[in-house]
Amino acid sequence: MKTIKLGFIASLMLLLVASCSSEDDNEKDLQKPTISLNYDAGFPKACEVLTKGETYHFKAQVTDNLELAAYSIDIHNNFDHHTHDDQEATCDLGTIKDPVNPFIFIENYSIDQGLTSYEINVSITIPNTIDTGDYHCSFSVTDVTGWQSVTSMDIKIVE
Amino acid sequence: MFQKTLVWLFISLNTIVFAQKTYQVKGVVLDAITHQPLEGVYIIGDNLHAVTSVTGEFSINGVLEGTYNFKISHISCKHKDITVIVGPDMPLIKILLDESDNKLDEIQLVGKTKKRIIKETPTVTELVSKDFLVKNRENSLMQTLSKIPGVSTIKIGSGQSKPVIRGLGFNRVVVVQNGVKHEAQQWGSDHGLEIDQYGIENIKIIKGAASLVYGSDAIAGVVDIEPNKVPLENSFKGEVNLLAESNNDLLGISLGLQKRKEKLFYRTRLTFRDYADYKVPTEKINYDNYIFTLHDHNLRNTAGTEANANFSVGYISNNVISETFISNVYAKNGFFANAHGLEVRISSIDYDASNRDIDLPYHTVNHFKVINNTSIIFNNHTLLFDIGFQNNKREEYTEPTSHGYMPKPSNTKERDFHKKTFSLNIKDTFKPNGNHIIVAGINTEYQDNNIAGWGFLIPAYNRFTIGGFAFDTFKINSDFHLLAGIRYDYGVIESKAYNDWFQSSVDNEDGSTSLIYLQRSQNKTLDFGNISASVGISYINNKTTYKANIGKSFRMPLANELASNGVNYHMYRYEKGNINLEPEESYQLDLDISHQFKNSSIGVSPFANYFENYIYLNPTSNYFQTQQIYEYTQAKVVRFGGELRATTTIFENLQLNASTEYVYSRQTSGPKKDFTLPFSPPFSTLLSANYQFNDFRFLKEPQISADFRITADQNEIVPPEEVTSGYQVLNMSFLATIAAFNKSTPLQLKLKLNNVFDTKYYNHTSFYRLIDVPEAGRNISIALTQTF
Repeated sequence: MKTIKLGFIASLMLLLVASCSSEDDNEKDLQKPTISLNYDAGFPKACEVLTKGETYHFKAQVTDNLELAAYSIDIHNNFDHHTHDDQEATCDLGTIKDPVNPFIFIENYSIDQGLTSYEINVSITIPNTIDTGDYHCSFSVTDVTGWQSVTSMDIKIVE
Repeated sequence: MFQKTLVWLFISLNTIVFAQKTYQVKGVVLDAITHQPLEGVYIIGDNLHAVTSVTGEFSINGVLEGTYNFKISHISCKHKDITVIVGPDMPLIKILLDESDNKLDEIQLVGKTKKRIIKETPTVTELVSKDFLVKNRENSLMQTLSKIPGVSTIKIGSGQSKPVIRGLGFNRVVVVQNGVKHEAQQWGSDHGLEIDQYGIENIKIIKGAASLVYGSDAIAGVVDIEPNKVPLENSFKGEVNLLAESNNDLLGISLGLQKRKEKLFYRTRLTFRDYADYKVPTEKINYDNYIFTLHDHNLRNTAGTEANANFSVGYISNNVISETFISNVYAKNGFFANAHGLEVRISSIDYDASNRDIDLPYHTVNHFKVINNTSIIFNNHTLLFDIGFQNNKREEYTEPTSHGYMPKPSNTKERDFHKKTFSLNIKDTFKPNGNHIIVAGINTEYQDNNIAGWGFLIPAYNRFTIGGFAFDTFKINSDFHLLAGIRYDYGVIESKAYNDWFQSSVDNEDGSTSLIYLQRSQNKTLDFGNISASVGISYINNKTTYKANIGKSFRMPLANELASNGVNYHMYRYEKGNINLEPEESYQLDLDISHQFKNSSIGVSPFANYFENYIYLNPTSNYFQTQQIYEYTQAKVVRFGGELRATTTIFENLQLNASTEYVYSRQTSGPKKDFTLPFSPPFSTLLSANYQFNDFRFLKEPQISADFRITADQNEIVPPEEVTSGYQVLNMSFLATIAAFNKSTPLQLKLKLNNVFDTKYYNHTSFYRLIDVPEAGRNISIALTQTF
């Protein structure tokens, strides 16, 4: 009986130790970076209308508790209304149509080391040859740990 | 557990005339209620004795003409003496044995013969009986098995789930059916296991490193669905199962038949299930900043349908058992319409028009199998051949849309995975004397994987593996067993090149850009070799059983881990394979101590595990075409944890059970050092109570049971996971039998109430957890089973 009891106690201890040691000694980064366009200079805002041939400064504020790493900007057509943005405003969408020569903007950028706060500022010229209509713009940002945040908005490109 | 078991002993005795005028006494012993053959029944006469085999059969050779007295004994029955007149034209003798007086003891004892084998096996093994499956049947086989401590599931929707053993799943758990490894798209998290859960009699679950016997991939454990027992001579049996559920308006029917003349036997099972969207206890789902409003709590477009057919034909003689199984499992399942993978989608499809239709996105899965098991017994050898062919086809259909540089595809077929697998296993079990059981064998498998559709996830590849193993179970004494074995595997993977079907813009060194068809995977041939080994002991000291097992297991890298290179728009990430990955190697120590008290039992099974190089899809900080790059890397991982279980009988009709499971994992090297592993199951406890009432009018053996699951928060996460809060869920069930058509085979009734309080909770290991979809709400189900 003694050996049984000892065996059980030993196993119980092991399980207890197991459950207690889940409190980590090493600090882990469990926070995602943040991304915001909700300030005066933030651009484009939801339902923004952009004109062909013009150059715009796309601006967003990103922060992280530890260290920022990289960001990307993606503009693609929403002619089929396949998805919608995550902003509170609901924009009026044009009629559904097939793309002929849609605007595609796909770029990645890295952020200098050691920053916890940064303003994205990318100047983008809307080409003259592309299809007008409903577009989607999304910003994403990563931190050094590999956490990512994304935000997106509906925009419109006109003649 | 308290149900009365009427044990019939049926012995058919017949004789064969030998030259010296001796006869062979042959018979078979079975349990009349479950129609399972009884193993370990002693047939003892003067200088004559036999013990029934796994198939319940026995034979005594060289019996001279005359009158013999035999004592028939089984630990769960009262002894009985019979007299047999051996000679030509012996009549068929039927014997009815009385059950033991104490019902409780009887049940415990019935289980013991099987349990005894498990006790003597040093590996930490759990046997799942048909009785457990019937009483606990959920919407999929793995959901049913997740009641076993240490077993959980990764699931999508209401009817599809994959096995997870102590926190590891996908290609780290092997599922074996009828001796052949089930080969499908194990790596994917958005579909389930293609196996019909009706008609399964026995499942063996190994929690721990089991590559020694099962080869690559059995690194975390095995779900071994064993072949059903051979039907009895001149028997015909059938079973009809009906099922209805309220939550997803499910209707299911399954019909099973089996027949044996003398040497030939047949079995067949047909199952059909159809269900509507399932209901969740919420009106809207908040995912990121999106809000999806649900119509009538229905999780839009999660309806499905399933049709399965199995047929087998077998031959049995004294020395040979051979059975050939042909089966086809088909399923069509819709996916939640508001998000495809992680991507939020808007569609003009009117999903809410009907909750029963399956619109885009959906998939179809078809799994066809032909397996032959042949065992030949000669001298002290049992030679077993398993030959298998499997054809798995999974197609996924989505409304097409443009992504990145990919223009809008012209059709809805996003993915098509087609795997053909040929398997051949040969195994010899040799018993040179009473103390050793030596098993040696080889496993070979050839896979041909093809892909189609406009979405790329995993390259086409061929894979050949061959492994040889030998192990010995040494009986040091009747209570002390040692198992030791070694295995070597060799495998070749040949991945196929894949180029995008559309052009992408690429920056050149001189600053210009060009449009090219990006190459996503290359033609590569890689080979791997690995040694596995295992040593274990089991020691039975009266009512206490001790087990210790240490093993080394391995897993060959998959083609996508080695060679993928492309954007997975489903998950918003760019997945990058690594051609330099080594086979995963894992060392695991398992202990198991169980003790039987008079009216209760307790057990604990702790484990410790070390991965030299766990393959892990690591989210990096970098981008490719605005998609976050996820890269396959290898890290050292330490894991430990275990299960505690206790059962007690308060008074004769009330039984209480408690079980707890816990796993701790930590990466100790690599880019996610100090983080856990993805899909880590939270600390969880299951409390259950079962009460059996007295017969009430037409309800016989009525019993009620309650299961209360308490799950802790899961704060151990790794990017991109989210913390999941703990929860408590109560499930209730009521079982009874009704002598509706026939007294000896009464109608079995099961009423089940899942999620009694319609609790809204999230399952950390559910695919839909990623998009903040809670688990299913309250569900009432009625299951009827009639055997004939």
